[in-house]
Amino acid sequence: MAIYSFWIFDKHCNCIFDREWTLISNSASGTINSKQTEETAKLLYGMIYSLRSVTQKLSKDDTANDVRSISIGKYRIHTYCTASGLWFVLLSDYKQPSYSHVLRYIHSHIYVKYVTHNILSPYDFAENENETRGQGFRKISNRNFISAVEAFLGPMIAQ
Amino acid sequence: MKTKDDSNQSVKRMDRPNVASNPSTAAGTQEMTEQQKLQQQLQIFQNSLPKVSQTVYMMLLNECVPLSMAVERKHGDCTSKLDGNGDDEVSQTGEQLQKIHVSPPLDPPSHQLCRELYEADEEKHNRVLDRLRNIGFEIGNKITELLVFSNNPNLQFKDMDLLSVMKFICRDVWRQMFNKQIDNLKTNHRGTFYLFDYDYQPIQSFALDSESSEKELQMVKPFLEIAVGVIKGVLASIGHAPEDVICLASYVDRPEEKPRASFTKGVSFHVQVAM
Repeated sequence: MAIYSFWIFDKHCNCIFDREWTLISNSASGTINSKQTEETAKLLYGMIYSLRSVTQKLSKDDTANDVRSISIGKYRIHTYCTASGLWFVLLSDYKQPSYSHVLRYIHSHIYVKYVTHNILSPYDFAENENETRGQGFRKISNRNFISAVEAFLGPMIAQ
Repeated sequence: MKTKDDSNQSVKRMDRPNVASNPSTAAGTQEMTEQQKLQQQLQIFQNSLPKVSQTVYMMLLNECVPLSMAVERKHGDCTSKLDGNGDDEVSQTGEQLQKIHVSPPLDPPSHQLCRELYEADEEKHNRVLDRLRNIGFEIGNKITELLVFSNNPNLQFKDMDLLSVMKFICRDVWRQMFNKQIDNLKTNHRGTFYLFDYDYQPIQSFALDSESSEKELQMVKPFLEIAVGVIKGVLASIGHAPEDVICLASYVDRPEEKPRASFTKGVSFHVQVAM
């Protein structure tokens, strides 16, 4: 089980955090909140968004029908959507079928602890009207959050 | 003020008399049963208190800082407007009233208020800190009442000297408010005390970006003022007038043996009581 990258999107369709690992041997390699991955983030968001809308239309009854993972020839995408509109997205290989517990842990123990409870950090990353609808550029740059994510996901990169 | 974790706490409290400076270590069974009875009473009292979520309480306590800043902003706006012109004051107040009732403008989010407080000039900054100390003072003034009412066997207010009052703050007040005790208490026995808290609960998850640690410490500083006010309030309720007490908060480094918490610095409260 190797993981390739990790993304967080907010309810304004902005990517507020991205982490991409390039070397399996080195958990510190790769990029954090990089400008280069902006296009990838948009494509990823679009793909998950479309599949979500398809699944919602195909649901038999009114209960929410969410995408949990998307498997593609080369890798697998795991998603976890919260009611507040946050999307936690993890790209991994095929060895493990579900990462939902991992994503739930990141939300409840890392995001809530270091972003929501941190009064110095914004809780809504679009500061004005112009930054909603996918136009935002703000990222989570808080040091506790980043180090906690690194410490938690680091050991899973090359298992 | 009571938290969900209190059931564990009361259990801990049960075995505290062994540790506490109790002169009657060789006490007879009669006295022990008296003590046990008191402890039972305390436990019943604690269980009967309504339980609230720890998280919500901490958030509200922290929210005092942006609140004070917002009040200060609005206050500033009002006075400047009133100073501006006095001729059609009536119509202006009418307008203002309408504004208040129809669509009150929301305050900016908390993190912006905190940043504004950091950037504010010194006079304004001090006024906000005063407000915070007053909020803390009110809390501290009342918390003694609660702790006296709780029939705590470790408290005997009738023969309490200054040191035991400080111990009371370190142990009972801190436990009630922050779910932990003060880590270290130092004194020169002449009215100067240092209270060290190496992981002050309310600020534990606060952090800015990695580069700005000096700025971060300055921005977090107002959050210590509530505790300063609480200490003064408790001392005032036990008979040390607030003008006789100097209390200052500052950062200290954590000692080596302490486990690393997420906030980089410990907090030290310097209390000086005129005797």
